[in-house]
Amino acid sequence: MDIDVLQERVNKELSSIKTIDDVRKVRISLLGRKGVFSEYIDNIKLLDKGKRREAGQEINTLKLRTENRLQELEDSYAAEEKKKKDAASWIDITMPGKAPLVGKKHPITQTLDEMVRIFTSLGFSVAEGPDIELDYYNFEALNIPADHPARDMQDTFYIQDGVVLRTHTSPVQIRVMESQLPPLRIIAPGTVYRCDNDISHTPMFHQVEGLMVDKNVRFSDLKGILSMFVQDMFGKDTPLRFRPSYFPFTEPSAEVDIGCVICGGTGCRVCKDTGWIEIVGSGMVHPQVFRNVGYDQEEVTGFAFGMGVERIAMIRYGIDDIRQFYYNDIRFLSQF
Amino acid sequence: MKVPFEWLSEFVVIDMDPQDLALKLTMCGLEVEGTEKKAPSCNGVVVGKITAIDKHPNAENLVLCMIDTGRESLPIVCGAKNVAVGDKVPLAAVGAQLKDGFVVEKKKIRGIESPGMLCSEKELGLSDDHSGIFILPDECRVGRLLHEEPFVQDVILDINIPPNRGDCLSIYGIAREVGSILDQRAKLPIFNLETEANKKGKDFVSLKVLNTDACPRYVLRMINGISIKTSPFWIRNRIIKCGMRPINTIVDVTNYVMLELGQPLHAFDYQRIRGKRIEVRLAEQETTFRTLDGNERKLLQGDILICDGEGPVALAGIMGGENSEISETTQDVALESAYFNPLYIRKTTRRLGIKSEASLRFEKGIDIDNVGFAAERAIFLMNRLSGGAIIKGEREVYEKKELKTLFITYSHINGLLGTHISQQDITKILRSLDLHIKKEGEEGLFITIPNFRHDINEPADIIEEISRLYGYDRIPATRPISPLSAQKRNAREIALGTVKEFFKGAGFFELINFAFFSEKDIEYFLIPPSDERAAFVGIANPISREYAVMRTFIAPGVLKSIAYNINRGAKNLRLFEKGKVFFSKEGAPCERFAVCFAITGREAEFFWRDKYNDYDFFDIKGIMEGLMGAFGITFFPQKTSEPFLNPQRGVDIFVDGTKIGWIGELREEIVKSYEIEQSIYCAELQFDIILQKMKLEVQYHPIPRFPQVTRDFSFFIDDSIPVGMLMDKIRGASPLITSVGIFDMFRKEKRSVSFRVVFQSYEDTLKDETVNRLQEIIIKELTNINGISLRA
Ligand SMILES: [Zn+2]
Repeated sequence: MDIDVLQERVNKELSSIKTIDDVRKVRISLLGRKGVFSEYIDNIKLLDKGKRREAGQEINTLKLRTENRLQELEDSYAAEEKKKKDAASWIDITMPGKAPLVGKKHPITQTLDEMVRIFTSLGFSVAEGPDIELDYYNFEALNIPADHPARDMQDTFYIQDGVVLRTHTSPVQIRVMESQLPPLRIIAPGTVYRCDNDISHTPMFHQVEGLMVDKNVRFSDLKGILSMFVQDMFGKDTPLRFRPSYFPFTEPSAEVDIGCVICGGTGCRVCKDTGWIEIVGSGMVHPQVFRNVGYDQEEVTGFAFGMGVERIAMIRYGIDDIRQFYYNDIRFLSQF
Repeated sequence: MKVPFEWLSEFVVIDMDPQDLALKLTMCGLEVEGTEKKAPSCNGVVVGKITAIDKHPNAENLVLCMIDTGRESLPIVCGAKNVAVGDKVPLAAVGAQLKDGFVVEKKKIRGIESPGMLCSEKELGLSDDHSGIFILPDECRVGRLLHEEPFVQDVILDINIPPNRGDCLSIYGIAREVGSILDQRAKLPIFNLETEANKKGKDFVSLKVLNTDACPRYVLRMINGISIKTSPFWIRNRIIKCGMRPINTIVDVTNYVMLELGQPLHAFDYQRIRGKRIEVRLAEQETTFRTLDGNERKLLQGDILICDGEGPVALAGIMGGENSEISETTQDVALESAYFNPLYIRKTTRRLGIKSEASLRFEKGIDIDNVGFAAERAIFLMNRLSGGAIIKGEREVYEKKELKTLFITYSHINGLLGTHISQQDITKILRSLDLHIKKEGEEGLFITIPNFRHDINEPADIIEEISRLYGYDRIPATRPISPLSAQKRNAREIALGTVKEFFKGAGFFELINFAFFSEKDIEYFLIPPSDERAAFVGIANPISREYAVMRTFIAPGVLKSIAYNINRGAKNLRLFEKGKVFFSKEGAPCERFAVCFAITGREAEFFWRDKYNDYDFFDIKGIMEGLMGAFGITFFPQKTSEPFLNPQRGVDIFVDGTKIGWIGELREEIVKSYEIEQSIYCAELQFDIILQKMKLEVQYHPIPRFPQVTRDFSFFIDDSIPVGMLMDKIRGASPLITSVGIFDMFRKEKRSVSFRVVFQSYEDTLKDETVNRLQEIIIKELTNINGISLRA
């Protein structure tokens, strides 16, 4: 048994190590169960009893040194490997990312949905009516008889005698009152049509109609409901004012103005230098309308209101040309 | 209506500036839409006085005026004939600026140097009159700058008069409103009518009103021996400021009094009234009549006519006739002031499409009590401007009616408004409006409505009057007394919500197009006449041919939006639109909801790491599958019957045996009709049927506790065998099969298709032999079919 031969073998194997895999192979061939050291340790018992102890010690010392050396080598190769791996995972993080497919609701739809949300939270439910409407519902039942001067206010598309494209969502009021008894709290969002086409008019646009009928509904309630709407839609501090106006189907009638959001009230083109923008037409339901639907006006009172969705969207987003909504240009649609 | 502040101030004392008044009017219901400052467009022009007029030594038609400017005396060369010593005139000395920025320079005129010029109204930007030098009113101060003179300055209020407030279509009417607001009473103009004592109206003309329902009041007055001229500046100026055109002293006076008092007037040339007789009656039969604008008008039974001894001379309240019109040589005038029933006037104007300042006022109803006074006022002004003699007395027919009286309770007022307005405040407001309180009771008031307020017919109208003068801003904002109840969303709202959410999540932009299209669109899409989409609802008065009929389907609008965007450089589009479509069913219009969606191009133009394929049929089909999945609806695609789809790449969608829509590639020639060069995959669905079939309630299924097993199979399959059918077959092979997918398809002489089948048991872990047995069954079932073989 020659320790020097063992030493030489160990040195040779260690110096052959080039990679972390070599470390593992050498560890097995030297220190494994059937490795060189095991062989030497097994051979100790063949020695003289007196020499056994010394030889054992020498082998053990060498084994320990070898183990330490191998661990050192393994650590250093592992570190080197990790470094290489890290280097290989490099990317240029400034390259552009991949855009997901993003869809958008039309700004009119977004605004309409928001309006419906607000009124729903105030206890109103959604009602509907046809776009192709009878003259009776669009005009007469709303206290606008055939020769009424108020018909001049609206340019009507006619389908045939007595049939029109509704010029406002107000006929839904009549249809609801004809089919239901009070109390009522409804809104009617929808498409309306007027024979008009220029920078501030499109032949089709959207309105939201509102109607509340019950015992003791007051003008002050109309102010309350519309104030809550305006504050929710445009912000808590939005100035607003109620101003007398005229609609054939309400009496008294009121128009609601909000402080111009474009100029902040100092005057601009949008608010025609008044500092105010008109957004809602409203009023107490006209007694004649109640008579027309057979409601007892001694029993119930009510208010109604109507607003243009395009107008509210224009104010909300700062759009100055209503026709933009209907070009459907994706450079426009993608902004909302 | 345009209301000059200066004119308004003649009737009420306004101690505030026009802007403040405008706000007050707006807040009381007369919305002031704008205010316009009026001043002559000149600078440096001064008031001068002519102290002497000498002949120009070198020119016969020129004179030399010595002008006193207050500081010096300047010799000015002048060509006008209308100047006299003592006149005050506008002097533009060298350096002064006139209309359109014209600057006056020193000039030699026929050898005489003129250090300035005298100006016409036109040169000062005051009117179009260039006939002579503008002779200034005597109250102008010599030496003062002209544009600082009060008589040329004004602010014009542009007031939006509500359609029911015909009583506000005059300066006096507005003044009455201002009076109510400022707690004053508007004053009517005061004048003194000097009549020719020995001539009486009844000797000149006879008057008969045959229908007092159509014309309850008619007044005729006469003035003789007038000479028609150009009106003085102050009259013309006011007429111009109100947006009308001055003509001559007689016509101007009728317009002036109409603007002032709201009473439309008509002047006849007395000498042209045949038979010296005026008769007001309804047309009895169809006739024609030439109005003074030169148009031949067809008159129908029921139109109100003013006739002389031989026939019509005016279409009452709307327009005079050519045959009795005032001319430059008219000497004797018969002036009409009348009240015509608004219903008759409206009917006639609507039919004839005539809108005049007069008919506008008659249509809304004028003040019947003011008819006589307005006639006097006009005759007085005609006399003042055109001379002549006023004939004493008027011819008049007046059928008086009792005034309306309404009763209203205090509790009704405060109950409807939600206010606590005191009885004193209520009566004070009513009085300020000339609403006469006939009787004051414990509970409420009897109120008499004056004739000029055609808009007040019932208690609610009185409440409006009280509320608007009380001030809407003083009415509190309250919460309704009735309790809130939870609101249920209706099915359509919910379903529309699902559509919007689905498409937004799937990367689609929503379009909103007009609900109109044109017959051309139906033609382009090759819709046969028997198809319901050819049974359109037409618009009688469309804005253009492009928008002449209501759309019967949405796809053409979507296609137009695609073309619009492609023309602007966007080639890759995912778009959807929801909305109504309209049909004519047995002559009656009906409408329903539809949804359309379309894709074109590819998902993105580029991404540096990936390669994109152009969209194909399977992209749009996947979207349809996703949408139907969102509604919980199982659908069955069938070979399409739509004429506009590529027959190889289109399917009709059936649910429970009913066709609800289609998907596919639009035919090339259709896309080309819309000037699109790229492939469009499109789909349209009837929304109402989805509403009936949808299952939106979600039922939770427990997640299986046992692992699933996946097996792949590959077959060669003839093209004649639809793979969809095979997938159904595999799915039907065992309830343990939870999903069947296609993970590969390629073609090598024959079509090779690879299926991935997932097996899952909810009861136990699947054993190999179970899955193997199922695998055998699947292979057997498929390979039994002629044209299918297992790929090794
Ligand atoms: Zn503004």
